Amino acid sequence: MSESIGIDSLVELDYTNVKTEAQTSTKLRIQHLSKSFQSKNGKVYVLEDINLEIRQGEFVCIVGPSGCGKTTLLNIVAGLEKADSGEIWANGRRVNGAGTDRVVIFQEAALFPWMNVIKNVEFGLKLKGVNGSERRNTAIEYLKMVHLSKFQNSHVHELSGGMKQRVAIARALAMNPEMLLMDEPFSALDAQTRWILHFELQNIWLKTKKTILFITHNIREAVCLADRIIVLSTTPGKIKKEFLVDLPRPRDDNDVNVAEYSTWVMKELKAEISKVVKCEMDTDSCVECDIKCTTDEPAKMDIGGGI
Amino acid sequence: MYSIFKKVIFFTLLLGIWELLFRLAIWPEYVLPSPISVYKTLIHGFQDQTFLIGIAISMKRIAIGYGISIVIGVLLGLLIGRVRIFEETLGSLISGLQTLPTICWLPLALLWFGLNDKAIIFLVAMGAVLSITIATDAGIKSVPPLYIRAAKTMGARGLNLYFEIILPAALPYIITGMKQGWSFAWRSLMAGELLIVCLGLGHLLMIGRELNDMSQVIAVMIVIIIIGILVDRLFFVKMEKHIRERWGLTKG
Ligand SMILES: Nc1ncnc2c1ncn2[C@@H]1O[C@H](COP(=O)(O)OP(=O)(O)OP(=O)(O)O)[C@@H](O)[C@H]1O
Ligand SMILES: [Mg+2]
Repeated sequence: MSESIGIDSLVELDYTNVKTEAQTSTKLRIQHLSKSFQSKNGKVYVLEDINLEIRQGEFVCIVGPSGCGKTTLLNIVAGLEKADSGEIWANGRRVNGAGTDRVVIFQEAALFPWMNVIKNVEFGLKLKGVNGSERRNTAIEYLKMVHLSKFQNSHVHELSGGMKQRVAIARALAMNPEMLLMDEPFSALDAQTRWILHFELQNIWLKTKKTILFITHNIREAVCLADRIIVLSTTPGKIKKEFLVDLPRPRDDNDVNVAEYSTWVMKELKAEISKVVKCEMDTDSCVECDIKCTTDEPAKMDIGGGI
Repeated sequence: MYSIFKKVIFFTLLLGIWELLFRLAIWPEYVLPSPISVYKTLIHGFQDQTFLIGIAISMKRIAIGYGISIVIGVLLGLLIGRVRIFEETLGSLISGLQTLPTICWLPLALLWFGLNDKAIIFLVAMGAVLSITIATDAGIKSVPPLYIRAAKTMGARGLNLYFEIILPAALPYIITGMKQGWSFAWRSLMAGELLIVCLGLGHLLMIGRELNDMSQVIAVMIVIIIIGILVDRLFFVKMEKHIRERWGLTKG
């Protein structure tokens, strides 16, 4: 294992370059997005001035410690929650509520247990008014893509966690959305299943060229899947850093390069985080310091197995 | 297997004691008939179809009354469960009314409908509707928000959201409410038929009383118990178990 391997290709994002490239095919544009929640102890600022552009066909992972606002960000993009300020443009339209062009895949599969597998996959198409036989064919096509066509008549409670998540992916893809929004979809699964699904998801992405916004708190997973990794910091969530990952696909979690990239990203983040912590330790305000130090603590990040 | 064995022994013993008490002739036959004469009455009642007709009439009433109560109960539950203003107004009315024993609606039913079928059906509906409303409301409030979010991102809106997602998701609760509602409806039906004389199983009970025919009274009671058990065990308990399993609410 040479220690310099591949690190050159994992450069910090050159912002200006990407912007010019993006202008032609931006799929998602988030501008000055802020969000706070009202809680008992007053306002909690969850997201602050998030600016982000995602290109057509790009696979972007958002990583960050627990509670930093990843889910909130995704929900706002999905139109399931309202931002305090800022604008979101998806597929050329301003986001104003949920839309079938942005389908969400949640941490729990959220399959409907009163429908069997194929009815679940057909659900979105049925709402779109697609007729019966066409609907069925599309559903079967996508179930084949996730290797579950044999289970089309099974009930949801008969499936394993990984199978449920694959049905959820098929259900989302069947709607042919412009963008997939995935919120830690594999975090409840065992390492083995996750490994398989990382392969499947990459293959599906290569095949369909969907734009994917994928949330995880696992850096290894992000390196394995993403073209670009966006790191959020906590309280309030801000974009702290971006990394480009330029490795051949499909990637493998256990691949030496992936492992090394992950370590490198971790190191970079540690340096960044300890810088922030140090800076805040020097200030007198203890209360503020307490909040920020604990939530920014690098040890809280799940860096994935094996590192 | 073992539990069936115990049950068989228990009921045989019970019949034995009953027959013994009858043989001892402590009470006259119109107080305590023999199990054999009850059995004969049962057979006879089914052979000359009086029991069958009685069952048919009672079942028709409960089907109509209970059917109405399901439709109204689910709709009211939906309104209370999803619309704040209905929850604050109608919700408190419903929980207040629930403390009223169903049979207290009888005078009102008689004044509104007279001594007839409609009054009985009204009683049956009133017996079940509140349980179903309350259960539907509880079910709707406990629908996992995740289902609604998922459905929304797939384009579900308005009525679709209610009928494709919210109601099915609440079904385990609704079924439990329907089960409870059925038992209330069944009780109200019998009470109504006893008090408003116009055919049905309750009326057969009253005929037994009027003729001083204790075997008929006991035979009809047995029929009522058996119908109650059949509907509860064979339909509702199974249904409830099946749905809870499908909905992933039971482990294993
Ligand atoms: N509805 C709400 N009301 C009040 N506070 C909320 C609400 N939803 C989220 N929050 C707060 O916002 C912050 C961000 O939550 P969010 O779920 O977006 O975090 P996350 O990054 O997805 O975390 P995780 O990795 O654990 O999923 C948390 O501190 C949480 O307590
Ligand atoms: Mg989250």
